[in-house]
Amino acid sequence: MFEIGPAGECGIRLIFSGEPHEALTSKLLSIQHSARQCFGTELIDSVVGYTTLTLFFEPHNIERDRAIAWLQESADADTDEAFLAQLAARPVVVLPVWYHPSVAPDLEWLAEENALSIDTVIDLHSDPTYFAYATGFAPGFCYLGTTSPKLAVPRLATPRSEVPAGSVALADQQTAVYPGPSPGGWRLIGSCPLRLFNLKAAPPALLTIGDSVRFEPVSESEFRALGGSG
Amino acid sequence: MTVLRINRAGAASTVQDSGRIGTLQLGLPPAGAMDHPALVSGQHLLGHTQDEAAIEMAYANTEVTPDSSCLIAVTGAPVSLWVDGAPACDTEVLKIGAGQRVSIKARSHGVYSYLHVSGGIATPAIFDSRSTSVREGIGGLAGTYLRDGDQLPIGFANSDVITSNVSLPLPESTPTLMLRFVPGFQYELLTEQAMSSLLESEFKVTSRANRMGVALSGDPVNTGVTSLLSEATCYGAIQLPGDGNPIVLLNDRQTVGGYPKPGAVIRSDCRRLAQARPGQRVRFAPCTPQEADRIAWLEQHYLETRLR
Repeated sequence: MFEIGPAGECGIRLIFSGEPHEALTSKLLSIQHSARQCFGTELIDSVVGYTTLTLFFEPHNIERDRAIAWLQESADADTDEAFLAQLAARPVVVLPVWYHPSVAPDLEWLAEENALSIDTVIDLHSDPTYFAYATGFAPGFCYLGTTSPKLAVPRLATPRSEVPAGSVALADQQTAVYPGPSPGGWRLIGSCPLRLFNLKAAPPALLTIGDSVRFEPVSESEFRALGGSG
Repeated sequence: MTVLRINRAGAASTVQDSGRIGTLQLGLPPAGAMDHPALVSGQHLLGHTQDEAAIEMAYANTEVTPDSSCLIAVTGAPVSLWVDGAPACDTEVLKIGAGQRVSIKARSHGVYSYLHVSGGIATPAIFDSRSTSVREGIGGLAGTYLRDGDQLPIGFANSDVITSNVSLPLPESTPTLMLRFVPGFQYELLTEQAMSSLLESEFKVTSRANRMGVALSGDPVNTGVTSLLSEATCYGAIQLPGDGNPIVLLNDRQTVGGYPKPGAVIRSDCRRLAQARPGQRVRFAPCTPQEADRIAWLEQHYLETRLR
């Protein structure tokens, strides 16, 4: 089930009903990919959200009704097999994490709150392979899901005014790494020494929607050897 | 290469061109001039054939000195102008000699003024744009607001300059600014009461107005929706946070968000809102996408005939 409606005077938004899931994200990515091919440079921009795809264009370049009809047809169609195969062939991104209270102010609190040992928290967080559902908040920030229900935590009532770059964080059943220093209300349980966003790299963001991501516990010396600080 | 020295930067001056395209999924906002027609009219005055960058000044209070002679023009919100202390015409192209001081001060209405220099501000382009995005720390000299003592490189000048006065006057301020918007996003989820607050009451521009957006205050629009799955925002999107005071998202907006949005203000009115000072009264009025197209076409036509 889906709906199509305007996103301002220069945008069209496709939204599917229900909860986000991997197959839906793959479908949205596939439609985004074909929109880029179909409309070329006349497509100014496009954004995949959890259950949405928004296309931006100049209405005098792409007729609005044509965009709506195209989106309708694409949403009705099955996800392109070749695109799904490409997505499945993407390597798992492994993010080293030093789980230690000196870089993770909420690690001990979370263990206590959820009646777990710190080692269990680390195991529960680093065991699964996560899926990247959405980007946003800040350049390089990627929402990863779904974490173990045993790790579920509410956000801070008052966000911290500055969270250090590389902080590995949890909120509800999502996890993420803060790419740069920024305010933030998620719970911090570790630190990743890699740069999540670097304008000089191609592509600039280490993680992108549709990626599979795993966290790998590392020691303090490995963390520092990889460029970590804190 | 000519260098423009910033003797006094002013409160919030940045390098801006028309902004970035294609970077939303990366989480980078488009940035770009808050009053785009004002940017374009200055580019035209100085004979720029490409999207050359200018200095955008909020409530201008700026002084600059070029190290070799150049032509300048100021567009957007009206300013008072002095060259070496002598009053100068603020609506014409001016020739400035090496070492002369150009002082620019905001007048009584509008917010954003643009200082254009022949050849354009030639700081490095990132994703094909020189626009500054302060939150992301990119563009301009160091991804920041301009600072006293900064030295900006100026590009090679085009000699084909329009000398007549073709400045584009800022629309007169009106007691109540109508913000026409295209309904969409969560419009259908609004309760009758929220809908009537949005459409029938009057709001005021608050002092929380900047390049990210303009926060309004008035009869709270309570949606009852606390948070949604993150989705794309857009230029002009009317965001309704928990306190019910609408925020109209502009050039430096976050690219995705989880607050309910009943629609997006059309471009033409976004520009007027960006130029509105705190205290300005505003009202919302829905409009169809087709009506928005017609207004955009008329504005473009007006701009082109003014600049012919």
